[in-house]
Amino acid sequence: MAPKFQIKVFQISTFVKNLTIISILTLSFLLVFFSKSDLYVINGIKNISSSVIIPITRVISAPVNAFSNFVDEYNQFRSLKFENKLLQEEIMRLKKWQTLAIQNSRENKVLKKLLNATDNNLTLIKTASLINRNDTIYSKLINLNAGHEDKIEKNMSAINERGLVGKVIDTTAKNSRVILLTDPNLSISVKSISDGIFSLLTGNGDGKYLVSSFVKENKMPRLGDIVVTSGTAQIFPVDLLVGKVAKVEKNRFFVLPFVDFENIDYLQIVTSK
Amino acid sequence: MGFSKFFNSSIKLNIILIISFSISVNSFILMPNMNNAFYVLFHLTFIYIIFYHYHYYLYLVALVYGLLFDILLLNNIGAHLITFLSLLILFILLRKYLIRLSSYQIIFIYFIILIILFLIEQFLANLIHNYKLNMSLIFNFILISLIIFIPTIFLLTKLDK
Repeated sequence: MAPKFQIKVFQISTFVKNLTIISILTLSFLLVFFSKSDLYVINGIKNISSSVIIPITRVISAPVNAFSNFVDEYNQFRSLKFENKLLQEEIMRLKKWQTLAIQNSRENKVLKKLLNATDNNLTLIKTASLINRNDTIYSKLINLNAGHEDKIEKNMSAINERGLVGKVIDTTAKNSRVILLTDPNLSISVKSISDGIFSLLTGNGDGKYLVSSFVKENKMPRLGDIVVTSGTAQIFPVDLLVGKVAKVEKNRFFVLPFVDFENIDYLQIVTSK
Repeated sequence: MGFSKFFNSSIKLNIILIISFSISVNSFILMPNMNNAFYVLFHLTFIYIIFYHYHYYLYLVALVYGLLFDILLLNNIGAHLITFLSLLILFILLRKYLIRLSSYQIIFIYFIILIILFLIEQFLANLIHNYKLNMSLIFNFILISLIIFIPTIFLLTKLDK
């Protein structure tokens, strides 16, 4: 008779187990401690998470995404008739505005020639589309499909046709992360167009409004004033549209951004000339 | 049959962790509660694994998911990593007392721990990363927890046999 086949089970000793746990706890402590620094390891972990983990999570969550798109299409289909009527009215209104805009544009060109003014102060780096967003729980972040291979760098501004959207905070070869204006950890220096009042705005945490964290000389802007980037912090280019003053209190004011953060498909990454 | 033979309960629970993690870090504008629900499901499953399938590899799991949650949701490392590892250490310390409890008491403690986890994460996000304490988000998590707690426990126990 053939001898019975026996497998020797290798058991990890308690010492090795405890050593592993202590190593993990120490590593975690160090990671937390150095998380805000610009260390190579921290950047490496962040890069891996945005270039490797995000695509994997997108594949896994694809069925939910498909369902979400289906619900969206169904809702759009239901409101088709009503939207059609609204669009017809809007076309009529826009045609009137178009005539005025063409007139103004001609006038503008003539005036610019007279003043010898340059067209704008922005350099377009890249137009990128949105890969995914992490803006429901905690921070307001989105990921774009262009990175430092497309010459996108940290601290560049992200805009769309409505105005300032946010700032690039991380880049990998092919992806970049943008922190939205509505994030409480992003501050922008702005000025009001009518009075030139300088202030700092941060996200209010509700994802809708921006709130002033500092107002120069405590002068409050008027309700309805338009605020643009002041360019004083030299992070954002000057005169980018930010939003409209929606509420003024004794020591602070609230701004409603022009950008619809729920409908972002494409962004332009720009920098000052 | 072969399928369930191949996947033991620990693997099944880890698959739930991966799926719930993936869905919770991808925002769906039309269904924001979907993210929150899967975020709660992740926490529920993680506590379940700690309670009923405790193993040393869970420290590695806590490290990986803690790091990823922190980077993807907060862009800084801290809140989730500390919470998950603290939960594991707390479980080791309290294990001998938990064994003596009845199943109803365990379920009650399970729910309380879940809510405390959300509160600690919010508190640490506020303390370390300067995020405002978002009470509406906490209430949303508590409400979702109340709705999905029993069905999830039922599902996890079924998977776990």
